[in-house]
Amino acid sequence: MALDPVQLAISTVTLSAPLALAAIAGYMSERSGVINIALEGKMLTAAFACFAASTYLGAVGGILVALVVGILFSLLHWYSTQKLKIDPIISGMALNLIAVGATNFGKELLPPDPIADGKTLPLQLFYVLAFAVPFAMMVWSAKTRGGLRLRAVGSDPDKARLVGVNPLSVRFSALIVTGVLTGLAGSLLVTETRNFTDGMTAGRGYIALAALILGGWRPVPALLATILFGFASAVQIQLKGTELAGANIPSGVWSMLPYLVTLIALAGFVGKQRTPGGLGKV
Amino acid sequence: MSYAVELIDISKRYGTVQALDSVSLKVKQGSIHAVVGENGAGKTTLMKALYGAMHPDSGTIDLFGKRHTFAGSAQAIEAGVGMVSQHYGIIGELSCLENLIVGSEGSGVLNLKGAEERANELAKKMGFEFDWKAEASTLSPAGAQKLEILKLLWRNSQIMILDEPTAMLSPADSDALFESLSNLAKEGATILVVTHRLPEVFGYCDEVTVLRGGKWIAAMPVAETDPESLAKAIVGGELVQRPPLSTETGAPALLTVSDLSVKGPKGNLQLKNCSFQIRKGELVGIAGVDGSGQRELFQALMGTTRPVSGSIRFVQGATEQDWTNLPTRERLKQGLRIIPEDRLAEAVIEEWSLIENATLGLQRIPPFDKLSGNAVEPEALKIADLFNTKRGSLNDAMSGLSGGNQQRFVAARALLYDPALVLAFQPARGLDLNSTARVYSKIRELCDTGTSALVVSFDLDELLEYCDRIVVLCSGEFSEPKPDEGRDRDAIGRLMVGAK
Repeated sequence: MALDPVQLAISTVTLSAPLALAAIAGYMSERSGVINIALEGKMLTAAFACFAASTYLGAVGGILVALVVGILFSLLHWYSTQKLKIDPIISGMALNLIAVGATNFGKELLPPDPIADGKTLPLQLFYVLAFAVPFAMMVWSAKTRGGLRLRAVGSDPDKARLVGVNPLSVRFSALIVTGVLTGLAGSLLVTETRNFTDGMTAGRGYIALAALILGGWRPVPALLATILFGFASAVQIQLKGTELAGANIPSGVWSMLPYLVTLIALAGFVGKQRTPGGLGKV
Repeated sequence: MSYAVELIDISKRYGTVQALDSVSLKVKQGSIHAVVGENGAGKTTLMKALYGAMHPDSGTIDLFGKRHTFAGSAQAIEAGVGMVSQHYGIIGELSCLENLIVGSEGSGVLNLKGAEERANELAKKMGFEFDWKAEASTLSPAGAQKLEILKLLWRNSQIMILDEPTAMLSPADSDALFESLSNLAKEGATILVVTHRLPEVFGYCDEVTVLRGGKWIAAMPVAETDPESLAKAIVGGELVQRPPLSTETGAPALLTVSDLSVKGPKGNLQLKNCSFQIRKGELVGIAGVDGSGQRELFQALMGTTRPVSGSIRFVQGATEQDWTNLPTRERLKQGLRIIPEDRLAEAVIEEWSLIENATLGLQRIPPFDKLSGNAVEPEALKIADLFNTKRGSLNDAMSGLSGGNQQRFVAARALLYDPALVLAFQPARGLDLNSTARVYSKIRELCDTGTSALVVSFDLDELLEYCDRIVVLCSGEFSEPKPDEGRDRDAIGRLMVGAK
């Protein structure tokens, strides 16, 4: 078994970028107090929207549509959890299921081989964004009025109300940003593969959420966690089909690696409780 | 004379309960105005109307002669009203400085350096000191209260509302708080204080308004009344008499604590080599400022924390039990009853009905061990009736009750079912005069039949009034006043702050 370090580094970047975007999307939502297991569904819907719209509107139009769909889907989450006060886990699951069904159905309506060559944006744009956004978010959270209010609402919505901060409107804005970032994450997946396949997010939304938790609901540590998961995936791709100490390891075992890392990391290294106090509270 | 605050004919109904019935309140600028009344009198509801946190069904709000309608607290803050709520509005996960400015940050990009400078100026003016970068969860109750005052100043509040500001404070901190308030009033601030403590009214307030059962009863300058007539106005009848103290000695020990040491949440020893005995039938009070180890002592006695060293022995009849590491449920079976410190976190589940809450903690104890579902209702009724818990239906959620009424329910539940040892942490927290007297009378009645009780209170006067014996905790160390100084307020006060 031999690892190619250059290839490993490149794969780590490409594999962690969508996770990083989704993790920061989760940060906006959860730090404002809205539990978000719907990152997966939001990414998937946005990916489909990007793919479908690119067919007709070109690359830029495709991404704009993906962002709009991401925002609308995210605001549906806001409406169900904040206005209708549906349990955030249940409504999140519902959104994920709707995403699977709707994209599956929508795909049937598209012409065959929709994206022609040259109709995508450069991938580097996404990668730069994915690694810059967490730092921008760190600064924004600490140094701006919006960031302070986001943290206040996520820590204790009732006490935030007492100082005249309205949790409803703070969360509305936060979920718009979540929609934009999941829109970007979904567009990245389509831009990379130039295709849309059913369930193509493959659990990335959940891994991003795990990274957010592992990072203690802080942007930059969450980024580092996504890089860890991206690295584990990259290792897994290279090791697939190789032998370990003379034994032939089935490829399925290697595929487990990133998920195993997620599990061990969550179980073992979460350490200090940093869960936002207002998570799930309306 | 013009008024800073004029609330006229404010009414508010919650479901079947008329919380406020045409209540009016007028406050002069630059004065301290006390709002007093029993639990459920509507004091907090009225303050919430002034703070925009509640929309009255009818009535008008005029501030400095100008009519206001508040859609939310943001507008009230805008109009110069600030409120310190009963449970404080400090967000533990934010830093002290962030707590100070949140909601009134000034600019989109925070000017943290400038904010800290102004924060230090305000703190200096009030004689406070803060580590602005520290997480607010590390603040003591007195620290949180001080930060709340600074929050009012930060927002340039002209009208300041404080809801039971001294409930968590030591006597010295309470005095300091009211000194600060007096200074602010002299500079023109208009201050409203909701309180149960009459000495605060007579020591520091200019005028007082009395509410009872959601109705306006009286308003007068403090100078024109006296504690006894004010107390009568509050309860609308005669006062419940203070129970006589027990003078009996020589009863056998029920609880023996030897060399008990307990760690606090941060891992340091919060209770150090504490030894004492409680005799059968004795009502013992623990005096001390908040954070002196009372919490850790109670946790060890309840069995929710394991002591580092030392032992707890419980003697009932001829059998001696080692309680040091005994699970809480076994202690409850042997007659331990608890009125915990944090009502919402430790004593009730707010979403549950009163009937469901009746069973909490007593589920293995007769008669509750044989009851389920609606069969609990008669017991719930007994609990609710003991201290007149004001309520709608027993099937309604606990969250619909005012804090004081929840406390009545919790206290009754701990005292009704054959207690052998009652542990009460601030049992009168949020209770009015008569309810406090009733709860202590019930404890006294139990003690006369052989029950023992250990009470923690931050209000030394309350302990002096009701307890047979007072012991002191200071920085985790246990001390007892000299035999001839057992009821000497000054001597005990010195022990509380560690002066010999």
